[in-house]
Amino acid sequence: MTARLRVEDLVVHYRSERGLVRAVDGVSFSLEAGEALGLVGESGSGKSSLALALLRLLPSNVGAFGGQVYLDGEDVLSLEMAEFRRRVRWRHIAMVFQGALEAFNPVLKVGRQVVEPLLQDGAISHKEAETRARARLVELGLAADVYDRYPHELSGGMKQRALIAMALIMDPPVLVLDEPTSALDVSVQAQIMDILKGLKASRGLATLFITHDIALASDLCDTIAVMYAGELAEYGPADEVLLSPQLPYTELLLASIPRLRSDTPPEFIRGAPPDLAHPPSGCRFHPRCPYAFEPCPVKVPPPFVVGKGHYARCWLREKGPR
Amino acid sequence: MSLALTLALRGLTLLGVLLAVLALVVVSLGATGFSDRVLNAVIREQLRTEREVLARTIRDPDQLEQVVAVRKQTLERQHGLDRPWYYRLPDAARRVLTLDLGEARTLRSASGSARVSDIILERIPRTLVLVTTATIITAVLGLWLGVKLATRVGSRLDRLVSYLSAVSYAVPAWWMGILLILVLAFYMRVFPSGGMFSAPPPVGGLRRALDFAWHALLPVITLVLVTLGAWVYVVRTMVLNTAQEFFVTVARAKGLPEGTVMRRYILRVAAPPILTNLVLALTGSIGGAILTETVFNWPGMGRLYYDAIRSADEGVIIALTFLFTLLYVGARFLLEVFYVTLDPRVRYS
Amino acid sequence: MRPKDVWRVLWGSGTGKAGVVFLGVLVAVSLFVLFTYPRDFGLHRWNNPAYWADNPKSAPPAWTRLLGAKGVPHRLLEAAPGPVAVTGQEATLTTFSYEYSGVRPPTFISFGLGEVRYRELPLVITVVVDRPDGRSALLYRHIVPGPRPGETGPYTRYAETSFRALLSEDPAVADNVASFMRQEFGLEVTPQRLRGRQAAALFGTPEEGSEFQPLPGGYTFSVRVLAQDAGDSVGQVKLVLGGSTHGLMGTDAMGRDLASGLLFGFPVALAIGIITALVSTVIGTFLGIVSGYTGGRTDTLIQRSCDVLNNIPLLPILIFLIFILGQRLWLVVAILAFFGWPGLTIVTRSMVLQIRGGQLVESTRSLGASKWRIMFRHILFQIAPFVLAQMIFFTPAAILAEAGLSFLGLGDVSIPTWGQILEQGFQTGAVYLGYWWWVLPPGLLIVATALTFVLLTLGLEPVVNPRLRSVR
Repeated sequence: MTARLRVEDLVVHYRSERGLVRAVDGVSFSLEAGEALGLVGESGSGKSSLALALLRLLPSNVGAFGGQVYLDGEDVLSLEMAEFRRRVRWRHIAMVFQGALEAFNPVLKVGRQVVEPLLQDGAISHKEAETRARARLVELGLAADVYDRYPHELSGGMKQRALIAMALIMDPPVLVLDEPTSALDVSVQAQIMDILKGLKASRGLATLFITHDIALASDLCDTIAVMYAGELAEYGPADEVLLSPQLPYTELLLASIPRLRSDTPPEFIRGAPPDLAHPPSGCRFHPRCPYAFEPCPVKVPPPFVVGKGHYARCWLREKGPR
Repeated sequence: MSLALTLALRGLTLLGVLLAVLALVVVSLGATGFSDRVLNAVIREQLRTEREVLARTIRDPDQLEQVVAVRKQTLERQHGLDRPWYYRLPDAARRVLTLDLGEARTLRSASGSARVSDIILERIPRTLVLVTTATIITAVLGLWLGVKLATRVGSRLDRLVSYLSAVSYAVPAWWMGILLILVLAFYMRVFPSGGMFSAPPPVGGLRRALDFAWHALLPVITLVLVTLGAWVYVVRTMVLNTAQEFFVTVARAKGLPEGTVMRRYILRVAAPPILTNLVLALTGSIGGAILTETVFNWPGMGRLYYDAIRSADEGVIIALTFLFTLLYVGARFLLEVFYVTLDPRVRYS
Repeated sequence: MRPKDVWRVLWGSGTGKAGVVFLGVLVAVSLFVLFTYPRDFGLHRWNNPAYWADNPKSAPPAWTRLLGAKGVPHRLLEAAPGPVAVTGQEATLTTFSYEYSGVRPPTFISFGLGEVRYRELPLVITVVVDRPDGRSALLYRHIVPGPRPGETGPYTRYAETSFRALLSEDPAVADNVASFMRQEFGLEVTPQRLRGRQAAALFGTPEEGSEFQPLPGGYTFSVRVLAQDAGDSVGQVKLVLGGSTHGLMGTDAMGRDLASGLLFGFPVALAIGIITALVSTVIGTFLGIVSGYTGGRTDTLIQRSCDVLNNIPLLPILIFLIFILGQRLWLVVAILAFFGWPGLTIVTRSMVLQIRGGQLVESTRSLGASKWRIMFRHILFQIAPFVLAQMIFFTPAAILAEAGLSFLGLGDVSIPTWGQILEQGFQTGAVYLGYWWWVLPPGLLIVATALTFVLLTLGLEPVVNPRLRSVR
């Protein structure tokens, strides 16, 4: 079965005053229907750039943009922009943005913005589109009259749900979510996660769930990919990665989660995320890694297989899993 | 509902402004003794004429003086001079509101009428023609140029226009008009140096219209040149700032074509703050009209103001002050209507 | 931000540097004017026609002759002879030499006397001219006024006000020139025909068609006196041969030297701009801080006031108030400042609202600082650079408003400004007559002064907008 989404060697570099920022440096993964992939990383790891790249929404200062992105077997990066916009964007792959940012146009009603993609090619009547949009909003637990409200009249949670409704309006098979709950409080967060779980089950949605919170990812996702300094450093089935992480970074990430009933206090990862314009030599994590040894600063570790569909880029795993 | 309420409240404030100005005008006329002086002068004039008439029938000088004195008292009572100035306030306010300010001393309307309201009313359309034309040209040109520049930030054109805008803030419109007259009318003799029609005015509808347009060209150019600079810069900056907002990226993500994004997500959102700056341009237009009309001898309200100052015709000055305020407040209210309609965030609920 | 940092930012950019240089020039000229001009310049010099009587009227600047414009230089010849020689016949008091290039005769000739004293008999003054062609003409004879009833000698004449005769218009001179023409050239011409062309006749030789061919060369004017007593004296003699150009910046219709008027405008413009901006900034910032920090009813009251004031058109109200209350400069400044503060209050208030929610205020308050202390030491300190930038930005508006008001004829006559000079030019039709030297410089100076403050504002942008600080 063809994967709904297959990414191969995706590269996104930005030009900046500091030099060439290698935000995404050769990333590959695939996503099946009904599968949720959690992309976990600190801020500045390049995960938002990855998301924008999938929708070809990169800003004008992009230096290099390469690789292949296959949606149902078709390489959409090689399409003309006009065709991509017409055929692929929002129909085949849609995105739910961070609620913290102003994703809604403040002077237009919410309903109008949800309905907009449907009216683009004129195939559906206004009436029909409105009905669909209202239904979608209700599906996500919002009152029907949210359609007629302005964005500033909605709470954070309501806006996030409206964003999800807007993303799903054309029934795309692939959905990318970039930190959809980071601006919300825990109870609302839980509600949103429930909705996503439901959608995954009922529609067979292929979901790319981007977050910095590995615990949150574990709730929804089948697969987890840990991103560090523009690369996928560990990739594998969720329970494997969570219960027996093969990468020191993943280990430290998990250790930093405070546990309610535990004697051990949470540890923090010392040091700061690397400068993507001048990443460290060899393994990019080596300056912060407690287990670093001779090959680490010298050679870039390739992905070593440590299980079925599970790899980790770490010299420690050269001889196999832990 | 909330739209109407917001507008009603704004309208109320503006009405308050109008009344405040009215109060200011009437009170300062009274408190400085100005209206007393004027009324006394009017009474003196009237008495002088009456005295001449009476002198023909009454021979006895003492009797004459008595009659005149009684007349003086009657007149003073009629004009309210027997009591302090604040008793005359309500009447004065009413008269200002209805432009019933009697007759001008020396100024006359084209038809020869001396009534202040006549003089002013015939001038209003002439000013409106200038100001409206200039505003429309400035608005359209400014929007087009501003959007164009916003898509080309940092280019040479962009930098040039930015510098020109900064310079135009420092140039008085009326002096620019003088400059244009000197160069284009005096040295190059391309345009007339002033007035609304040539002397004698041409006959025939089309020729009159062309003559009118030829005379209006320099004043309109002057008005446009000076507001255009700041306006283009404001549009450019607002559009630029809005274009960097996140929801614009989202709009593109949804697959909307670039034209729609520009119209509905950038311009529509930038419209309210751009409109706020239109208010500043409007302020310039009111003052600009007065000074530009003076320079170009354009017989509108502004030039009337100048003529009234020169001939110290206080009736006309009072009426014009109030009228200009009315126009200004009216224009601002119109702007408020636009703003509140365009930006739902400022409405009361 | 310390003053040193502000200076560094200002000096760092091209616009900032230009602004500072311009400002320096403005201040330097203003100081020069303040130290050298008399206090009552406006009333007793600028608006006093007698002071400018000897200047040509509406004359372009003298240096235009260098650029090829045909003209005649302006010559003011003076002498202070003192006591007179008594010889029983006419004695030469003084002689004046004048070199005529032949291009154009002088635009006017005026003769003046000052401080004449005689013991018994009045003095008789005669003016004779020796032309380059050897001929001499008697131009003018004047008898100093005799004793008045009840007056005793010695007599003093022309002590407070000098005597002045316009030889180029005087009918007696016309008579004399007519006789000269008849005698020397056999030209029969009536004095009436010569009126207005006396100077041309004097400086030329007649030819057909009653025109005069210019006679270039050296002319000597001798002023002679017939005096009776040894104590008689003439204090001043003045001969003015009017030019078609004069001065650094030319003259206006009253003969006023525009350069001195324009110079006077420098400190006035600076004062208007800075004082207005300062007063409205102080009031506006104070009210903005109070409004933003205190909130509640005070806030609402202040905001409503701003709302009302912002909705009043400035120029019409300014015109009305000045018309009613009198044309005084301090009134203009007061009214401008009064309408200027709301703009600052609104902006300051929104900044204060942002800061108020911040942690600095919270921590200071928890330390027990009083409300006023917080407002003024901490908040004001934080917004100070922005307030400074706003103040500089508002300065040109006041200068332009005053110029506009003066142009309409509502200026303060006792304090000449560039706007007033423009108004006088416009009134006398200088624009339509092409008197560019009258009409261009005042406007250019207004623009230059306003531009200085615009440049300074642009130069200060990095202070106001920290994101721009490192970008060059």
